[in-house]
Amino acid sequence: MRRTARLALGIMTAGLIAAGGAGIFVYSGAYDISATDQHTPPVYWAMQFMMRRAVAVRADESETPAGLAQAEVVRRGFALYHRNCVQCHGGPGFSPEPAALGMMPVPAYLVPVGREWTAAQIHWVVKNGIKMTAMPAWKHRMSEDDMWEVAAFVKHGLQYLSQAQYREAAANLPAPAARARPSGVEGGVGNAAAGRRAIDQYACATCHVIPGITGATRQVGPPLRGMASRSYIAGVLANTPRNMVRWLMSPQQVSPGSAMPDLGLREQDALDIAAYLATLHGD
Amino acid sequence: MTRINRDRRAALMLALMSLALGACARHERQVLLPGGDDRRGRELIDRYGCGTCHVVPGTGSARGQVGPPLDGIAHRSYIGGTLPNTPDNMVLFIRQPQKVRPGSAMPDLGIPEHEARDVAAYLYTLK
Repeated sequence: MRRTARLALGIMTAGLIAAGGAGIFVYSGAYDISATDQHTPPVYWAMQFMMRRAVAVRADESETPAGLAQAEVVRRGFALYHRNCVQCHGGPGFSPEPAALGMMPVPAYLVPVGREWTAAQIHWVVKNGIKMTAMPAWKHRMSEDDMWEVAAFVKHGLQYLSQAQYREAAANLPAPAARARPSGVEGGVGNAAAGRRAIDQYACATCHVIPGITGATRQVGPPLRGMASRSYIAGVLANTPRNMVRWLMSPQQVSPGSAMPDLGLREQDALDIAAYLATLHGD
Repeated sequence: MTRINRDRRAALMLALMSLALGACARHERQVLLPGGDDRRGRELIDRYGCGTCHVVPGTGSARGQVGPPLDGIAHRSYIGGTLPNTPDNMVLFIRQPQKVRPGSAMPDLGIPEHEARDVAAYLYTLK
């Protein structure tokens, strides 16, 4: 009995010392967060392994569409890759842009990825991005078909292209079609839980205090706490669900000169975010 | 390294840490508003009824949710969604919101300049 108590006391003391030590380490600023400081090999391999496992567990192989290796699909994937991915990942004979060269971790060259990863895994990373790296989630900016086409190119195209072939294909790319701009608000149903996730995908947290969103503590624009009971949006629109969607999609049209930029929200995302904001009642 | 040396080093580190903490506390952003009296400003906020539309901490019953809450307004980057948050711009917006943002729900209340300065001085105490 006494022995158990002593053991428990020992474990608690060790835990406290460890927590205290971790606290001092964090507070001292000893950890170098600069992008020029390499990870130690154990940290690097642990993170790399964890990332591979996390992707493998989440990517659903059974969802891989048939015909990803078809030339037409790969060609469409190339167009998307060259417009959206080559800036950071590079390609045969194409260096990443300067901003990408300074990143930590540096964005991977994707030929090895195409050889080692499954299409479903590549698609998962394109769709969801990777936390604490510069890899963004594309699911709010590309259609499901687009993301599969990118995966098809990385899996079935990139690794077979010589520098000359890639360059030629890039030179023959047609000009991108103008992005369809949202016209009016059709109406639809928003989902608050989806909105809470979408909020992070449009940088809302960099400017607004938003209850329920980690890190949303900035006072660039007005705090959104109690937004459900606020009378006006942006000082000009009556706070109705429809107007909220309109404001989220086209702030510069509603209030020209506002510091709030047009962020290119898709209508469904705007509906979802408006639904989340409508859950934020006064304090 | 001797034990005493190590102890001394730990003591030095602790001393440095407490210094750093103190420095953080002292480096709070101060917005100076020459000629503004924040205590008068608080009274004026009640008198002009700002609280019917805004949450204003420290004033009578300012719990309105018509416009944005003003807690933390000292740290807000923009005023009226468009003006950089400088003391002059704050005074301007309090006096003539309709000039800054035509069509805004915030009305011109006819607040004279010296009173607007007092109100702004109080708002800058809200961190």
